[in-house]
Amino acid sequence: MDFSRILRRRGLLLLPLMCCAIAGCTAGSGEGLDISGRPLSEGGDVPLAPTLASIQANVFNPSCIVCHAGGNAPQGLRLDAANSFTNLVGVTSREESFLLRVSPGIPDQSYLIQKLEGSASTGERMPLGGAPIPQSSIDYVRQWISDGALPDSGPPGMPPVVVSLSPDPDSIIGNFPADITAGFDQDIDASTINAMTFTLMRSGGDGGFTDGNETEITAASVALSGVNPRLAIMDLSGVAAVEDVYRVTLHGSGAGLILAPDGTALDGEFGGTLPSGDGIEGGDFIAGFEVRGLQPSLASIQNDIFAPICSGCHAGPPGPNLPSGMDLSSADASFSSLINIASFEVPIIRRVAVGDADNSYLIHKLEGTSAVGTRMPQGGPFLDQATIDVVRSWIDGGAPR
Amino acid sequence: MSRRVAPAWQLSALLLLAVLHRPVTAEPYLAVQKGLKCLLCHTSPSGGGKRTAYGNIFAQAELPGHTLDLGDFWSGELSRYLAVGGDVRGGWNRIDVPGQPNSEDTALQEFLAYLEVRPLPQHLTLYVDAKLRPEDPIVREQYVRLSTADGRWFVRGGKFFLPYGLRLQDDDAFIRQVGGINYNTPDSGWELGYEAGKWSAQLAVTRGTAGGPEVDSGKQYSLRLSHVTPKWRLGGSLNFNDTVFGDRQMQNVFAGLRTGRVAWLAELDRIIDDGTPTGSRRLWASLFEANISVKRGHNLKLTFEYFDPDADVAENEQNRISVVWEYFPTQFLQGRLGYRVYDGIPQNPAQNRAQLFFELHLPF
Repeated sequence: MDFSRILRRRGLLLLPLMCCAIAGCTAGSGEGLDISGRPLSEGGDVPLAPTLASIQANVFNPSCIVCHAGGNAPQGLRLDAANSFTNLVGVTSREESFLLRVSPGIPDQSYLIQKLEGSASTGERMPLGGAPIPQSSIDYVRQWISDGALPDSGPPGMPPVVVSLSPDPDSIIGNFPADITAGFDQDIDASTINAMTFTLMRSGGDGGFTDGNETEITAASVALSGVNPRLAIMDLSGVAAVEDVYRVTLHGSGAGLILAPDGTALDGEFGGTLPSGDGIEGGDFIAGFEVRGLQPSLASIQNDIFAPICSGCHAGPPGPNLPSGMDLSSADASFSSLINIASFEVPIIRRVAVGDADNSYLIHKLEGTSAVGTRMPQGGPFLDQATIDVVRSWIDGGAPR
Repeated sequence: MSRRVAPAWQLSALLLLAVLHRPVTAEPYLAVQKGLKCLLCHTSPSGGGKRTAYGNIFAQAELPGHTLDLGDFWSGELSRYLAVGGDVRGGWNRIDVPGQPNSEDTALQEFLAYLEVRPLPQHLTLYVDAKLRPEDPIVREQYVRLSTADGRWFVRGGKFFLPYGLRLQDDDAFIRQVGGINYNTPDSGWELGYEAGKWSAQLAVTRGTAGGPEVDSGKQYSLRLSHVTPKWRLGGSLNFNDTVFGDRQMQNVFAGLRTGRVAWLAELDRIIDDGTPTGSRRLWASLFEANISVKRGHNLKLTFEYFDPDADVAENEQNRISVVWEYFPTQFLQGRLGYRVYDGIPQNPAQNRAQLFFELHLPF
């Protein structure tokens, strides 16, 4: 009798085995544990109340963090106690970018509430595949948001640490960020978040920060979030979007440094894993990210379009060998040749009309809509519309140098 | 008007023809029942998503209780260069949580569309799997795959479901939910695959951000290896995700066995997660499932699952027991009636819920 015949005849013996497995792997009694299945010694049960600590203990821990924790957290949303506040309050939803996950004071406009109540237009109701959170519990979340979505007080006596950074440390992103946000595990003294303590540097194109060609980025503003005292925001509005490697520094040592309200300095050492810190007050937090791909800036357009594609013909000193007298061989030359310069073929139209891509001859030539001459690059292949749209975006944004 | 399916020899010839031409979000139990590899029925080598011509014809010829005479079988093959497919799933779901009001939900749960373009048949494949929605589609998979002429080796790049364990349809199964590798978390990167004889292997290097932005340091590595025979299969998977929020290591062993009318599935997962507030945690999850082919078109699925969310904490374990009746009345239609009981710590009512559901599934 071969093995397969034995299996066929005796296969149902596996059913009792399955029953034994069921009997042997019984559910836990819950003895000595809180509602989240954690030992009572870690804090224990907390009555439901409109506070983050209570919501953490009664909603996030028992229902959410089985998925929303650690490196595989969906949508990058970590709801464990160390991260929930900085991942929620004042943070834009990844699924619906026009909504904040938690908009303090406005529960109906908070994506968290929409996901819990099942009214979000995107994705499934949370917890995914699980029992909906009772409305009576959601009402406490609503009340917490209506009350301003305030954090709990941080662990007493411990220095503040960095628990999140956006863009993520070491990430490679396609679009230059509108802002950089850093989250802390406790409230931060707003007066210590400024352009001296929260800085951004660009490598200068070589990815390194030691050879002297780095550029310090001047942000539009650097401040603590008005709605989240654990979130520092660097507003990059108006900063030229350039493909490069960037380095973010949050100062925990030196003359100007980031402090908690009790004067404790940031514990910033970052070894590749968040949260930061070595358990000792002080130390800078240093992390990088890279912007890769065409950006709406002259430097990027020069690197990716003008230099490799256009300057094959449009380069050199003025003369009969320079088509239309337009030199696109360097960023300076391109700027001089393009910005508010009347076009050679249709002088009434400027090559780049600052702030007006539709009426810029450069766009007409790239899109093939000019009444005179041929579409550029001459003979093709032509730029795809997505690439041209980046050039449009640079022009509409004021065509900065 | 319906009639019994055509004589067995005709169907066998048709299936054989489909196989030679080479070129149901199915469950792995079907592969175990037939002793086949995932890629015979699915475009994706590790299963799930669009069905191949063989998978489509199998689903129409062998699964239904009755086969409607439609004159021809739908293979999804529009030409040698183009194939399409889809899945529609909807139903009714009721969840009872002790001490809380019941919740009921009736909805069209998903409408999936698949497109496979083969500019160089058997060598180059472009594939898209999208969830259609009124607002904008969600692309679940989108990749380019290059294969050797003999089909033994392939490499694909893009966004795809990671190779890890049994590719269950149920994303809420502990082994898929806790591990975080399921139909909701495709990732972007590269995969190298090997398919020869009884062996199947995939090695993927991906971003580790579940489809999020690229990360310069730290990737997710997934390895899945399985040995498939007509009667049984045995496999194992390794996964390591190196992230700034803490590393996650996962290992599993999985198996399938056919004994007469019963297809057995088992998987045991071990997870070590460093990204938790209390430091490193060891988690265990397992699944043990019997699929009983009661009669043609009817499958009774009995599942037992076990989950230990922290091996260092006692009395916190959870179970899930499911009884699901699956009925294929005819081709392109499946009904599923199921009841699940969750058993967890008494102080958490949601861990002790019960779920009753009915689903209609239209695969094509």
